[in-house]
Amino acid sequence: MKPTGLLFFPAFDWAISPSHPEREERLLYTRDQIFEEGIMDLPQVREYQPRLAEARDIARVHFCVPSIKDIASEAHLVAAGGSLVMADAFAAGEIKNGFAIIRPPGHHAMTVAHGNRGFCNINNEAIMIEYLRRKYGYRRIAIVDTDVHHGDGTQEIYYHDPDVLFISFHQDGRTLYPGSGFVEEMGAPPAVGTTINIPLAPYTTDEGILYVLDRLILPLLEEFKPELVVNSAGQDNHYSDPLANMRFTATGYAELNRRLAPDLAVLEGGYSVETALPYINLALIMAMAGIDSSNMREPDYDPAAFKEDPGNLARLDRIAALQLENFRRREDERAAAIKKGPPFYSTTRQIYYDTDHIRESQQIKQRLCPNCCSYRVIASAAVHAYGQISRALCFSIPLYCCSACREEARDAYRQAVQEGGGADYIYLQDRAADDYRRFDSRGDTEETIN
Amino acid sequence: MHIGIDVGGTSTDGVLLHRGELVQSVKKPSRQEDLAETILAVLDGLLEGRDAGAVRRLVISTTLVTNLLATQKGARTALILVPGRGLPFDFYRIAPDTYFLKGNIDFRGKVTEPVEEAEIERAVADIRARGIGRIAVAAKFSNRNRTVEQEIARAIKRLYPEATVVLGSETANRLNFPRRAVTAYYSAVTAPEWNGFADRIEEALHRRGLKAPVDILKADGGTMPLVLSRENPVETVFSGPAASAMGAVALSRRKENAVVIDIGGTTSDIALLIDGEPLHASGGALINGRLTHINALALRSLALGGDSAVKGESGRVEITAERFGPAACFGGPVATVSDAFACHRGLKLGEAERAREKIAAAAAAAGLEPGPFAAAVVEQALERLGALIQGMFREWENEPAYKVWEIVHRRRFRLDRLYGIGGAAELIVPLLADRLGVPYLVHRLAPVANALGAAVARPTLAVSLYADTQQKRYLVDREGIEGSIDNPEGFRLEEARKTAAQCLARLAAARGAAQYLNDTRVILAEQFNMIRGFSRVGKIFRVDVQIAPGLIDEFEGVAD
Repeated sequence: MKPTGLLFFPAFDWAISPSHPEREERLLYTRDQIFEEGIMDLPQVREYQPRLAEARDIARVHFCVPSIKDIASEAHLVAAGGSLVMADAFAAGEIKNGFAIIRPPGHHAMTVAHGNRGFCNINNEAIMIEYLRRKYGYRRIAIVDTDVHHGDGTQEIYYHDPDVLFISFHQDGRTLYPGSGFVEEMGAPPAVGTTINIPLAPYTTDEGILYVLDRLILPLLEEFKPELVVNSAGQDNHYSDPLANMRFTATGYAELNRRLAPDLAVLEGGYSVETALPYINLALIMAMAGIDSSNMREPDYDPAAFKEDPGNLARLDRIAALQLENFRRREDERAAAIKKGPPFYSTTRQIYYDTDHIRESQQIKQRLCPNCCSYRVIASAAVHAYGQISRALCFSIPLYCCSACREEARDAYRQAVQEGGGADYIYLQDRAADDYRRFDSRGDTEETIN
Repeated sequence: MHIGIDVGGTSTDGVLLHRGELVQSVKKPSRQEDLAETILAVLDGLLEGRDAGAVRRLVISTTLVTNLLATQKGARTALILVPGRGLPFDFYRIAPDTYFLKGNIDFRGKVTEPVEEAEIERAVADIRARGIGRIAVAAKFSNRNRTVEQEIARAIKRLYPEATVVLGSETANRLNFPRRAVTAYYSAVTAPEWNGFADRIEEALHRRGLKAPVDILKADGGTMPLVLSRENPVETVFSGPAASAMGAVALSRRKENAVVIDIGGTTSDIALLIDGEPLHASGGALINGRLTHINALALRSLALGGDSAVKGESGRVEITAERFGPAACFGGPVATVSDAFACHRGLKLGEAERAREKIAAAAAAAGLEPGPFAAAVVEQALERLGALIQGMFREWENEPAYKVWEIVHRRRFRLDRLYGIGGAAELIVPLLADRLGVPYLVHRLAPVANALGAAVARPTLAVSLYADTQQKRYLVDREGIEGSIDNPEGFRLEEARKTAAQCLARLAAARGAAQYLNDTRVILAEQFNMIRGFSRVGKIFRVDVQIAPGLIDEFEGVAD
C-alpha cells in the first residue's frame, strides 16, 4: 500500500502582521500534535519538503500587477511550491494521496492579482492544478472547497472552464466574508453548471455537512468523473473558529475526508489555532492515510452538544435538487449559449481587497467557440488605498484552446502592445504554448516570464 | 595518560596516550559473553609496567547495550502507556507487555482527562502477578507535564515497591511520544545487565588503583561518566561507529566537511563530518526497527567490505555479501574485493600470485579477462559506495525545514576530504576519493582510530528548554528540572536562552563537562507570540543548547 504524502510547512517566520490570524503561531500546536503523535514515523505517511515555485508556475494562473515579485513573497512561493511537490509525488505514483499543510493560504486569490484579499495573494490550488495539467496531462479535475468562506478566487479562475468542476460549501455569503457563493453563480456560459455553490446556514453541524456531501457533492463527482479530486481544505467550519459561526467537529472533518477521498488536499483557512487546528489536521491526515480516527477528538468534544435543525436539512435537500438539475443541464445550456452567440460573452465585475484596501473593476470578455473553451480578455483597473490607479490588460489562452482561437488571441495581444490602449501593463498567458509575457507600456519593454 | 578502549564485534582495541603521543596499543579478541573481562584484559595490557595512578581518564566504548537489544536478551519489562487522544492505541503496542491507561494531556501540558486510580491499580497488580520487575511509563505530552507519569510512579511505589520504574519524561523530552516510550522501555530493558557491568568495572578498577574518572562513549560521539550511565544506559548504543568517527576527527582536526568511511571485512560504515563535527541523525537512533530519542550519528552501512567475495557468472560481475575468509592474497579461499582492487591497481600485496589466480578463475566464470574483471569489480564497488555517500549528502540537504528562510537558502553539501579507516581503506579509499574529486587521508593510526576516538572524545550534553509565559513556567528535559517564571512580561528569548544555559551549566558540573561550557551552542531558539482575540497573552519558547561532540582540551593532535 502506498503511503499518504504529507508536506508540513508552517512558515514559522512569516505573518501578515504580529496579531493577524495569519501569524507564526497558526500551526504551532498542529506541529506539536503531529510530531508528538509520531505521524512522520508511520509507514502510512511519507514526509516531503517544499521548494520554491517558479515564476512560470505563478504566471500560468495569475496576472500579477505590477509584477510577480510584488505580489508573491518568498513565503508565498514556498507555500505554492509545497503544493507542487505534493502534485509531483502524486503524479509519479509515490503516494496514494497527499496533504499539503501549508501557509499562507490562497483560495481567495483571483486570476488578476493586485494584492492580498482574504489573507491570500496567489492561489495554491490553481497553481497546482495548472501545473498538473501542463506537466502530466490531467484535464478533468474537481475541486471541493471545504473552507467556511466561499472560495471566490478559485471559483473565478475556473468560472470559464468546463473541465474543472468547482464545488464550494461555505457559510452563507449574506453572513460572512467574502459575501459571495450563491447558487446562481453557476459559471460563465461556456462553462455553465460546473460551478456549484452550497451556501450553508450558520450553525450547520457535522450532520448537515455530511448530509449535503452524500446527497449532492458525491453524486456530482460520480457523474462528472474527474481524473483528480482536490480538497481545498479550510478548517474554519469548526465550532471554535473565531471568524465564523459553524458547528463542524474534527470527527466530522475526518468523516468528510473519508467519504470524499480526495487525491490531494491543500490547507486553506482555519483560525482556531489552539482548540481546532491540531485536531482537524490530525483527523484529516488519519482519514487520508486510512487510519481509524475514533480515538481522535477535541478535549471538549461532546457528541450530543450540537443537534441539526430539521428545517436546515430540508433546505439542503432543495439546494441539492436544484444544483443537481443545474449540473445535469450544463451541456445543453452551453450549446445553446454558443449557438445563440454574440461571438463574445462579456461582463463586468467589482472586486474588493479587504487586506490591502484595493478596489478593482474588471471588464471580462470570453470568446464563444463551438470547438473549444476559448480565450478570455480581462481589462482591470485597480484603485489602491492612497488613490494610485494601475491598469492591466490580460489575455488568457487556456491549455485546451483550438488553434484558431489561440492565434486570434495572440494577434489581439500583439495589437494591444502596439497600440497601448491605456493599460500600464499588458499580459499574455498562453497555456497551450506555456508562454507567458508581460509588457510594461511605461518602459515600452516586453519580458518573457520563466 | 589517557586511555581509550573500543569493543568491536570481533576484536577490542585499546590505546594509551601520553602527552599526545600514542605510546601503547593493544588488540584482543572480544568475548561477547564477558565484555568486562575483555576490557580489563586490554586495560591490563596497556598498563603493563605503568602506574595506574597516573591515568588521567579512561573512556570505554562497548557493544554491551547494542548486543542486548539486538539479541533481545534484556530484562522483561512492562510498558505502561497513557496515549491519550489521537492514533488508535494499537499503534503503540511497543512491548510484549504493554498496558494502556485512559487519560489525556494536551500540547500545552493541560490534563484534559485524568488517569483513573483503579486502572493503574489493575495494571500494576497484573504486572506484579506476572513477576515482571521492571516498568517503563510514558504519557503523550509528558514532555509538557510530568505529573501524570509521576502519579503512576507513586502508585507503583505504593503497590509494588520492589519494581524499578523508568519514566519517559526522564529519558527524553522532545516531541514524539512513541520514540519517548521506546527510549524509556529500552532504558529499563538494558539497565540490570548494564548495572552489573558497571559494578564489575568499578570494582576491578578500584582493585587496580585506577582512580581517574571513567567515562562511557555514547551514540552521539560524546562521553558521560560511568556512574551516570546507570540512569540511561541505552545512550551507549551504537558507540562503535561513534568511536570511529571521533577517531577521524582526532586524526584530522580540521574544520572541514568530510566523509569518514570505515571499511571492514564485510561492511563499510559511513559517517559525515560537517565543519569537522560528526553529523547526527535527525530521527534519533533506530533500534530493532524502532526510532528512539537517542542522539546518534547519521550512519549508513553497506554490506561491502574488503573480504566480500566476488564472483563471475555468464558475463556478469557480482560482489556478494558473503565472506569466506580473508582476501585470497592473505590466504583466503576465494577472490575478494581487496584482491580485485590490488590487482586493478597493480599492487603487490601478500601472495599476489595466488590472488591473481583466484581473480582469473572468477573472471573466467564471467567470460572475461582478469584485468577487465577486476576493473568491473572496482567500478561496481566505487559506484555503490559513491551512490550511498551522495544519498547522505542529499538527505542532509533536504532535512525537514519549517521556515521560509531555510527553504529559500537551502544548503548544499560541499565535500572537502575523505577519511579512510579499517583494514581495506588503504586499497579502496584512494580510488573512491578520486571518484568524488577530493583529497583523502588514510592515517598511519587509522587501524586504532576507534580506540583513539574513544580516548580523546569529550563529554557531550544537550538541554532542551520549553517555556510558556502564560502559564509562567518552564521545563527542561533532564532530571526533572522545572521552574516558574516570575516576571512573564520581561521573559524574552534572551531570558529563555540564559535559563537554558544555566541548566546546562548545572548539569555539566556533575558530568565533568564544566570546562567545555565556554563552547556552549544554541542549536535552536524559537519563540511564538500567543494571541487571543487581538492581544498577546503570552509567549512560548523553545531553546536547545548543547556541548557538541569534540575533543578533550588536553589532546593536541598526533603527527601525520
